[in-house]
Amino acid sequence: MPDSFFSCPFCGLLCDDLPADVERIGCARATRLFSVPAQGQCRVSGRPADPAEARRVAAGILSGARRPLVAGLACDVTGHRAALDLAERTGARVDHMNGPAQFRNWLAFQDGGWMTTTLSEVRNRADVVILAGTVASAFPRFFERCLAPESQFGDLARRVIVLGGPISRLPEPFAGSALTIPVPATRLGELCAVLRARLTGRPLPVREVAGVPAAQIDAVLEILRSARYGVLAWNAAELDFPGAELTIQAMVDLVKDLNRDTRWSGLPLGGNDGDTTAAQVCTWRTGYPLRVAFESAGPRYEPLLFDAARLLAAGEADALLWISALDPARVPPDAACPRIVLGRPDMVFEHPPEVFIPVAVPGVHQAGFMHRMDGVVALPLSVRVASELPSVAQAIAAIQEEMKRVAA
Amino acid sequence: MLRLKNGRVYDPVHGIDGQVRDIHVRDGRVVAAPLPGDPVDTEIDLAGRAVMAGAIDLHTHIGGGKMNIARALLPEDHRRDLVPAMAGLHAGCGHAAPSTWTTGYRYAEMGYTACFEPAMLPANARHAHLEMGDIPMVDKGAYAMLGSDDFFLRLLTSGAEQRLINDYVGWTLDASQAMAIKVVNPGGISAFKFNARNLDLDEAHPHYGVTPRRVIQVLARAVHELGLAHPLHVHASNLGIPGNADTTLATMAAAEGLPIHLTHIQFHSYGKEGERAFSSEAERIADAINRMANVSADVGQILFGQTVTASGDTMAQHRNHRHASPDKWVVMDIECDAGCGVVPFRYKDKNFVNALQWAIGLELFLRVTDPWRIFLTTDHPNGAPFTSYPHLIRLLMDRSFRNSKLDEINAEAAAHSQLRGLDREYSLYEIAIMTRAAPARSLGLSDRGHLGEGAAADIVVYRDLADREAMFEKPEYVFKDGRLIVRDGKVVNVVNGALHTAKPEYDKGIEKPLKEYFDRYMTVKMEHIKVSDEEICACGASKLIPHQCKRRAA
Repeated sequence: MPDSFFSCPFCGLLCDDLPADVERIGCARATRLFSVPAQGQCRVSGRPADPAEARRVAAGILSGARRPLVAGLACDVTGHRAALDLAERTGARVDHMNGPAQFRNWLAFQDGGWMTTTLSEVRNRADVVILAGTVASAFPRFFERCLAPESQFGDLARRVIVLGGPISRLPEPFAGSALTIPVPATRLGELCAVLRARLTGRPLPVREVAGVPAAQIDAVLEILRSARYGVLAWNAAELDFPGAELTIQAMVDLVKDLNRDTRWSGLPLGGNDGDTTAAQVCTWRTGYPLRVAFESAGPRYEPLLFDAARLLAAGEADALLWISALDPARVPPDAACPRIVLGRPDMVFEHPPEVFIPVAVPGVHQAGFMHRMDGVVALPLSVRVASELPSVAQAIAAIQEEMKRVAA
Repeated sequence: MLRLKNGRVYDPVHGIDGQVRDIHVRDGRVVAAPLPGDPVDTEIDLAGRAVMAGAIDLHTHIGGGKMNIARALLPEDHRRDLVPAMAGLHAGCGHAAPSTWTTGYRYAEMGYTACFEPAMLPANARHAHLEMGDIPMVDKGAYAMLGSDDFFLRLLTSGAEQRLINDYVGWTLDASQAMAIKVVNPGGISAFKFNARNLDLDEAHPHYGVTPRRVIQVLARAVHELGLAHPLHVHASNLGIPGNADTTLATMAAAEGLPIHLTHIQFHSYGKEGERAFSSEAERIADAINRMANVSADVGQILFGQTVTASGDTMAQHRNHRHASPDKWVVMDIECDAGCGVVPFRYKDKNFVNALQWAIGLELFLRVTDPWRIFLTTDHPNGAPFTSYPHLIRLLMDRSFRNSKLDEINAEAAAHSQLRGLDREYSLYEIAIMTRAAPARSLGLSDRGHLGEGAAADIVVYRDLADREAMFEKPEYVFKDGRLIVRDGKVVNVVNGALHTAKPEYDKGIEKPLKEYFDRYMTVKMEHIKVSDEEICACGASKLIPHQCKRRAA
């Protein structure tokens, strides 16, 4: 059936209501990222090269590597499948470019679990929404898509509470009505912990916690308790400080505790750059949500040690394959080891990598599948512009062919 | 042509009970004996071996969002069972929440050739098919979950005609590429979103006002009238609650004579007698199944050790989270569609409740007289990982082994149970019914589950060992569509499985109200929730096997 709307792969909302003329939707991020040339130039150490040479050099680097790192991983399901196959074959470690944010969530998740919800539930049920340390600006249409006034259970007079430093930029109608409580992100954990304590009736023998007066804490508690279906949203990428996983744990523990008497759910905002998809594919294939090494005894999971930035900084990788097919700004980190980049054709490098192979952008040049931030809904991506560029999976397959040929 | 010679064949569809037969295979099918002069390329002498069709698991949580949550939650469990990459085989992990690759390899290594994921949320269907696309070796299929989704509950509340419900059920099967329909805690997953913590069979849903009984009646009728082979697959209300046997019996009655399958019935066969207010009602439940020809069940046996429970029943999983071991758990409300809850569990043989659960499951197996209507499952991974099936088969086939295990469990539970008084030992023929012929019939897989001419050549050869656990753990040969895939319990050839789907007829006019509903309330378009036939191979299946359905009169 011809489909007049298509899905946008460029943020974790994966909006699937885009018309042919993307600009009409009014999303600056989508407008910027849908604009991409359909051709690109392979490069070897910054100079133009033909695709065969680029493949040959890439295969040589990977064949010679003993501790390769496959990272970036901004692509679609088919790309992730290919990347994991290659990692398995070369004994590589894998991590996503958003790994630091993802693992703030995974560490909290794997320690205690959580209660969460999905976008359509938020849209239809959430009468109280707490935005903790974020205003969701990385997801430009969050308010329009998930907090629209109409719900199937009647109009929702949503109460939005922002916990965070001085906030502007909340869209109408929330800008006027939201309750904003200034709390530094580093102290959100304390605030959630004290709300949990108050929830169980413990006294609060201090005047303020994290800069929030005791009376306001109790006023917030009352809002939490009287919610019909509350949602606490955070964006791990914005909680960028040491120990932030404990802040997230304090949030999800508050949500769990509230569920003793009423209904609340967490909403971990994320999913940009295909990170939800990357974690999903790696989880079903290995059991672990990335930061896995394919070792001879089987997949080894090290959520702290296998941080790509750490591996590169410590010189613990001797080759980097960087996959970044969605956003040209996400270039690979500098590294002492050789770098192979499968990237958007409009990627510009300050320090050119050893190999650059331009690849098709999923959802623009190539069909595919990608997950929304909640990990539940996977949507089809369609071809918008014909292109000869190889997909990530095809580029990887070609490199592997070359590796096999050389080994034979 | 391949000739499997002299084996003792167990093929209940054709009434063959251990008679020596030759089986001939050509182009992936079982064929008639060749005429004199027809060349036989390969011949394997199977004297003394037991030969059966490939086993079929009709209720195993192998793929879909909740399994990925379970996997991600349990790195410490995977570390006990790392699977390295080997020639042609992918690395992964095993045990409670195995990786997709390992799931396929290990099912095949036990002689299974088809597995059915029983709890696919339509909102999660594309993901489930992507996951199952990476499960090799076996054919797959999935049951779409309905009954707590708001569109359905709105239809019901608005007094929609059965015809419209049928169209919606038909559309759901089509859109999610499902083989059957499952209902989990009917209406209860939705009720939990409205803060209800319990929903009895005849209790009104807090928002919609409809009862679980009504949900079951309407869905059972839709499934029947659409002509699906598999009956409505029911995870009943009140899972795990002492005294729930009454609910279970009432749920059977709610089908009003229409076909109904009660799943993991062990978790629904509890009384509340005794000092601990927890007792076995296996006898009463089994008697009801024996009496009601429209009822089938799978057991959901528990076996002792670490596992993880993964279920759409958020209400029950939230209630049970205090038993989580290790102490971490996940509950998720999903897309006005359903939900899921994941709670790791460690069943202990010295624990009264766990020990009695074990005995209740076995009692059910032994008391239900018709092996065509009771299926061998552990509700993987909820009662135990699927890799414990050989052990379970031995418990059923070997009374002295069973009683020796009974001696090891919590003594009070053993004393409460009537298990020791049950002499029955399953025969190989009955095992072949329960794990092959019956699930194939229940699912409408006419060319699977048997070894007659024209059947798909999914064939398993076992050494006839007295230790039935050892026998079923390591088949000597497994053939999938005529191709040797397992030798001596190890994968020797990797194949990719197909996807079975039901293709009922329905009025596509249902898409008009559906489209309005999605456009107005959802964050996804109806057109994009639908998984097309063309996507199935892109997701990873070798092919789609459509099953036409013949409508039945109202």
